[in-house]
Amino acid sequence: MLAEHLKLAPALLLFAVLAIFILVGLASRTAKGEYYLVSGRSVGRIGIGAAIASNWMSAASILGIAGIFYLQGYFAFAYIIGWTGGYVLLLILMGAQIRRFGKYTAPEFVEARYASPWARVLSASIAILISLIYCVAQYKGIGLVFSWIFGLSYIPALIFGTAVVISYLVLSGTLGALRNQRFHYTVLILCFIFPLFLVAKKLGFFWPVPQIGYGAALQEILSRPDLAGTAPWLHGTPYQWIALCFTLMVGTAGLPHVLSRFYTVPNIRDARWSVVWGLFFIGLLYWSAPAYATFAKVWELRHGVAVNPETARALADIIVIKSAEWASLPSWITGIVAIAAIIAAFSTVTGLLIAGAGAFSYDIYYQLINPTATERQRMAVAKVTTLVLAMVVLIVAAKPAALIAEITAVAFALAGNTLFPVFLLGIWWDRTNKQGAIAGMITGLLITFAPLILGQLIPGLQDLLPPTGSALLGAPLVILITIGVSLLTPPPPDEIRRFLLEKVHTP
Amino acid sequence: MNTEPDRQNEPSEKGRINFFRPLPGFMRKKVHYIWVLLASWACFTFGFQFLLVLLEKSPDGSSPLTEKILFGFPFHYWYSGQFIILWFILLCLLYNLFVDRLTGQYRKRK
Repeated sequence: MLAEHLKLAPALLLFAVLAIFILVGLASRTAKGEYYLVSGRSVGRIGIGAAIASNWMSAASILGIAGIFYLQGYFAFAYIIGWTGGYVLLLILMGAQIRRFGKYTAPEFVEARYASPWARVLSASIAILISLIYCVAQYKGIGLVFSWIFGLSYIPALIFGTAVVISYLVLSGTLGALRNQRFHYTVLILCFIFPLFLVAKKLGFFWPVPQIGYGAALQEILSRPDLAGTAPWLHGTPYQWIALCFTLMVGTAGLPHVLSRFYTVPNIRDARWSVVWGLFFIGLLYWSAPAYATFAKVWELRHGVAVNPETARALADIIVIKSAEWASLPSWITGIVAIAAIIAAFSTVTGLLIAGAGAFSYDIYYQLINPTATERQRMAVAKVTTLVLAMVVLIVAAKPAALIAEITAVAFALAGNTLFPVFLLGIWWDRTNKQGAIAGMITGLLITFAPLILGQLIPGLQDLLPPTGSALLGAPLVILITIGVSLLTPPPPDEIRRFLLEKVHTP
Repeated sequence: MNTEPDRQNEPSEKGRINFFRPLPGFMRKKVHYIWVLLASWACFTFGFQFLLVLLEKSPDGSSPLTEKILFGFPFHYWYSGQFIILWFILLCLLYNLFVDRLTGQYRKRK
């Protein structure tokens, strides 16, 4: 039903844009030398903010959010608020301290803070698991959009998309092309917002600021409350809303690499201020996404199209594209939205696959399996792992269990239940030791997966621990267990406590 | 394993890092400010949802807050969809202004 025919303009545009990204990536390399030298002055806080936003945007933001709005109305704000409020939590609670600590990925931090190979392997496994779940959601986005562009059905489109991702990864890797994140953000946000102006204009709403103009569109569909879905608890209870929102916030704070550019800026003051810009740039996307969903509903209402729930669910994850298509915009403009989604998904997937493979080859293979491995062996392991991970994700994504935003939320629940407490306590309570951290991470894993695996067997479990909202109860419980186990076991070495005191918590 | 706490290796009671018992000076001031920001972060995010529940007239959550129209949106929709992101940006801004000032003070004193 979704796959119709090959759309030539979007297809050509897609490959053109991918080629441009590789070229720009090559140009940035020769201009910059080392990639993390953002050269504070010339780029400035706005540029770093754009890099933070570009690092954040994935298919979940571009496709998933609007899809959830289309289906669940007000309930979807839990996603938007969770994914923006998490930055506040990360900035005020941990950003500066993690930066002074000097370790930004979970395995590195755990190794330095808790000095335990087992804790390190555990946190590396969790990080890989988070990457995998996150990637499944991106793959679903890639599969759906490729199916729309090339007129293939979902599975062939998914396989084709995966092949293109891997080729893109290998090609940019061999050429040494880097990601110019400011350029990346600019292209993404323009591709996402420009068609929205046109959709608003076509449907006759206030188009110069469609982010406000869709208020009138909302009024138009309010005559059908079930369709509008603006009533707060129409699609979820207050508990589910709060659990989901809280989970996404602590999950964001538990994935400190989302601020990766923050940590590589020479001046910490610029870094802090860049988060303000980053949040604004992310806001631009999140202010716009609900408008797409609302315009799609207005079109349905005006044309008397009654979409049954099953079709609506199938449509939801590409509703941004459908919204542009229904407003009968030219196919190349509709294609722009599709390309924004593909670019966001590609960069997220490549980043996560490389990070996951790195964690496996260094933190698990080198530390645990073969400590005598040479640099070349580790590189080889990393390359093979990248491919293996890509295939595992492909298999899981062939039958996606939920919407893009929902799958992503599970990855955030895992991060919030495991890595968030490890970072938070590691920084703010120097008595936390390795036993506490390990016990906490294992509890967090159990809490995250219990509702997914045992949800059908134990009645009421999913009411208490919704799969996408398990961290509301989970994170505090993990924190208590970590504290309890830490107090029952010997304190951590003195050097690390002194390091926290003298280096991490000083002006 | 030696489970007895080794007094010599333990940093003195004063030199401990604990969010709930911050050390005097820079850390204490910063933690106070973090508390204020955390409180407003929680009130505006979760407090508002509690308010919706408190005022609701029917199980789907219809209330005076959802009936009032602001900028063309039902009030609660405008609040969650547009206002709160601005509020988060403001919180980050305030945090930065405060830390800038605090760092300035303590760097000078050193």
